[in-house]
Amino acid sequence: MKVLIIEDERAMAAEMELFLKKAYVCDLAYNARQALQKMEENQYDFILLDLGLPDKDGLLLLQEARKNCPDASYIILTARGQLEDRIKGLDLGADDYLPKPFSLLELQSRMQAIARRKFGLNDSTVPLGDFKVDLNKRMVFFDKSEIELSRKEFDLLSYMLLHKNRPLTRMQLSEHIWGNFSDDDADSNYIDVHIKNIRRKLSAFGTVEWLQTIRHVGYKIKL
Amino acid sequence: MKLFTKLTLFITLSKLAVVLLFVLILPTLVDNIARQYNDFYLSQQKKKVLNVINKNGIDFYLQGEPDYGSYTMLKEEYISLEPAGKNILPDTIATLRRVVEEDTLTYRVLSHVFDYENKRYMLEVGKTTATIGQYNRPLQKMALYVLIGLIVFTIVIDLIFTRLLLRPLGVIISNRLVNRKFPFKDHAPPVKTSTTDFKYLDDSLVDLMERIREAFEKEREFTSNASHELMTPVSILQTKMENLMVDGELGEEMEKKITGMMKTLHRLKKIVNSLLFISRIENDQFPKSDTFAIHTLLEEVMEELQHRLPEKDLHYSVNVSRSAILRSLNHDLIFQLIYNLLNNAIRYNQQGGSIKVSDVCKPGEPYKLFIRDTGIGIPQKELTHIFSRFKKVAKSGNEGYGLGLSIVSTIARYHDIKMEVSSEEGKGTVFTLMFPEETTV
Repeated sequence: MKVLIIEDERAMAAEMELFLKKAYVCDLAYNARQALQKMEENQYDFILLDLGLPDKDGLLLLQEARKNCPDASYIILTARGQLEDRIKGLDLGADDYLPKPFSLLELQSRMQAIARRKFGLNDSTVPLGDFKVDLNKRMVFFDKSEIELSRKEFDLLSYMLLHKNRPLTRMQLSEHIWGNFSDDDADSNYIDVHIKNIRRKLSAFGTVEWLQTIRHVGYKIKL
Repeated sequence: MKLFTKLTLFITLSKLAVVLLFVLILPTLVDNIARQYNDFYLSQQKKKVLNVINKNGIDFYLQGEPDYGSYTMLKEEYISLEPAGKNILPDTIATLRRVVEEDTLTYRVLSHVFDYENKRYMLEVGKTTATIGQYNRPLQKMALYVLIGLIVFTIVIDLIFTRLLLRPLGVIISNRLVNRKFPFKDHAPPVKTSTTDFKYLDDSLVDLMERIREAFEKEREFTSNASHELMTPVSILQTKMENLMVDGELGEEMEKKITGMMKTLHRLKKIVNSLLFISRIENDQFPKSDTFAIHTLLEEVMEELQHRLPEKDLHYSVNVSRSAILRSLNHDLIFQLIYNLLNNAIRYNQQGGSIKVSDVCKPGEPYKLFIRDTGIGIPQKELTHIFSRFKKVAKSGNEGYGLGLSIVSTIARYHDIKMEVSSEEGKGTVFTLMFPEETTV
């Protein structure tokens, strides 16, 4: 899939590209003019749009871009973070909205969710060791038997699965699940409680060695 | 007490005191005036008598008798003539009892010694005290009536004038102080008055409020701009760190260090976000148009917090009226307010402690919500500034960023919710929220 990153802050754009290029083909644009040009030349699946561009208001660009690339999915990334911007952005056809500073992991998770929703992948089942995770139906299977996880536990598991083979800190996990309400108090062990529950529920069926604890950091799904 | 009430009281009481004083001294005053006038009158009469005696000769009256006493000559006063001793005495006036024409009465008597044809006589001119005092009572009464009339009249005039005089002050108080809400955005027109003191007061108040507003505006603008500017570098740092954390490439030690850096950055992010959030509330960016049941809101909040209760084995109980519906509020902000309070109640609680939410919901009264915990409590001297930005209450092992309660107070102020805190160290804290009447359905 092809992604256009429109971001005037070059360091930021570079980091986003570095992160996303493992899963996507990325193009960069540092202003609205470049962005429109790129859009004429290529078709994109995702357009990541920073609202604070030097040469044009991001929301205006969004309107124009949607004419050029109506099939792309748009995610607004902004430090403006105002409620009206968010509502306007979504009204103008953006698929999602991430206030800066956002986590790249979260960005990818949102992109994946949009892709699943938009491209209506029928088979959304992902293998996880001896288990299978159905991301659409939000269910975990072992052979034919369904394993019941709570909403938060499933969120946690699928997030780790998406970012498999990557150490995830407790903070990143809690930020994904509780969003703005993630607790300030990062040493709290409530993420551990959830992980313990996931391990307990799944290990009744098969081995969960893939769910690793990383000392001082957090957790990782190693596949 | 209001100034006008005080002035009214003072004016009335002082005038009453004047009346009282007048009533007390009036009889003696009138008596004295009557006597003095009478004494002067008696000496005039004496001159008249002496003239008549000189004209008619003393024998005309004595007619051979040694003395003479009669009302005949002066009609109103009696006179008496009798021989006197050798001594020449000055005129004396005294109140004495005399028998005249077989009546014993009290008289005001003037005694005068004079020589007539080598004989020395004493003349007495007397007037009954009853006749002297006969006009005193009606005079006193009349004087009193006139006085009371005048006093009532002046009181009425004084009060009307005071009221008129003080009216601008009332306008200043109601326009500038009573009905004003921070941050004083609306402006009432200047007060119309010719009293320079009030004009000065009014102008000073307007000026002062304007300055407060400006300072507040500046702070708000700064907070907003600074936070925005901080967001970009924070974003870059965060993405850089996230990109560093890739499996296998770093040793355990490195991963631990980066995690530490991410925690610090996360903290910075939280602070900046909180400041932005506060400035957004202060910029009126949240519409106050939601209607919701408080017990549903509490359930929503607890859905986010439930998972933290087992950590300290806390007992959470809620006892709020199911019919308590609030309106004209921003749901998300009230959610955040209650979330922050409950979050604190959890964070600062003790092992096996409890959290109780209750309310008072009576028709016609502002809705009250209580959030009680059995936590570590807040020392008395800290209570006053727990709502200020960046003041962290006593080190508690847990890391707080000092903005949670700041957000709470900003949201409360935005919705005119009154907040009270009472706390006992080691026992727990109670937060009371009093919602304004217009938000209670």
